[in-house]
Amino acid sequence: MMTNSTKSKLDPAGTRYSALALTAPVAMGYIPLGTVFGFLFVQAGGDGWLAVLASLFVFAGAAQYMMIPMIAAGSSAGTIALATLIVNLRHAFYGLSLLDRLPRAGWLRWYLVFGLTDETYSVLTTMPESTSLRQMAWVALLNHAWWVTGTAIGATIGARAQVPLAGLDFVLAALFAVLAVEQWRTRMSPAPLWIALAAYGVAYSLAPTHALVIAIVLSTAAGIVWQARSATAATEARDD
Amino acid sequence: MIDSGYALGVIAAMGLVTFGLRALPFVAAEWLKRHPMVPRLGRFLPLAIMTILLLHSIAGAASAHAAGPGPELLAAALVMLLQWWRRNALLSILTGTVVYVLSRNLGWL
Repeated sequence: MMTNSTKSKLDPAGTRYSALALTAPVAMGYIPLGTVFGFLFVQAGGDGWLAVLASLFVFAGAAQYMMIPMIAAGSSAGTIALATLIVNLRHAFYGLSLLDRLPRAGWLRWYLVFGLTDETYSVLTTMPESTSLRQMAWVALLNHAWWVTGTAIGATIGARAQVPLAGLDFVLAALFAVLAVEQWRTRMSPAPLWIALAAYGVAYSLAPTHALVIAIVLSTAAGIVWQARSATAATEARDD
Repeated sequence: MIDSGYALGVIAAMGLVTFGLRALPFVAAEWLKRHPMVPRLGRFLPLAIMTILLLHSIAGAASAHAAGPGPELLAAALVMLLQWWRRNALLSILTGTVVYVLSRNLGWL
């Protein structure tokens, strides 16, 4: 399955080498953060092989961190699936900007789509337009490998030592903080952040236990109104 | 112990939802392109949802002790400042988490 055979014939080894270089910064993050996931999962009472399986088949850091306390508390699969939907909703928008870059159907493209994490997406968007599907798939595969490797290391450590430190799960909040800053940086408009702050404040004062879902509904509604107004303003400006 | 059969079900559900979200633009491109609201929500929702998730996990962590959300807010602010300044996710996450874990375990509260 080669969509760009001339390019891969020219330098198959070079393809791997540059993908390796491109994913090196991701490895610096994925291996230690995967280690923390594997460690926390095993400490919460899960088998190590299940942690590795989760990293192999889910491959979504924030959702995997979020799942640990939920699975330890015995939440239903449906509840965890809904939480995953909320945490990973942003990924539905990543593909929109890659539609033209991944034109052909085939298992290589579907693997790339599966591996479209925040980090893989940001590496792909820095690669030139001419990059072959094969080369992009290498980036996804290597990132996937770093994440699974880290998880296996963490699961092994976690199975050997009990660490009774309170607050280690703050790593999820920290990951959300990092993702928020990166979203802020790419959009260069902090309005969604202020709207979300207000929405969460209202939702929390109404019903703390359902604050998450209420806040998302409120800020989505506010976002639609806010955008409808700015779109109207843009249309009016064009008409003038 | 977490039951393995239950965990497998959870992992399968999470994997399907995550793949479904990542694949959505590729299977529904025509439909999505016909709705101008989609790209606009794409500009708005990721930051809004991340902010809400951050606030929600801060609220969750703060409810585990009696000292109020001070340590969580401080550690989150540290993470955001570091990320803005150095743009190194690992550095930001580990520094914030270490500061938070220390504040929870060394009796700074």
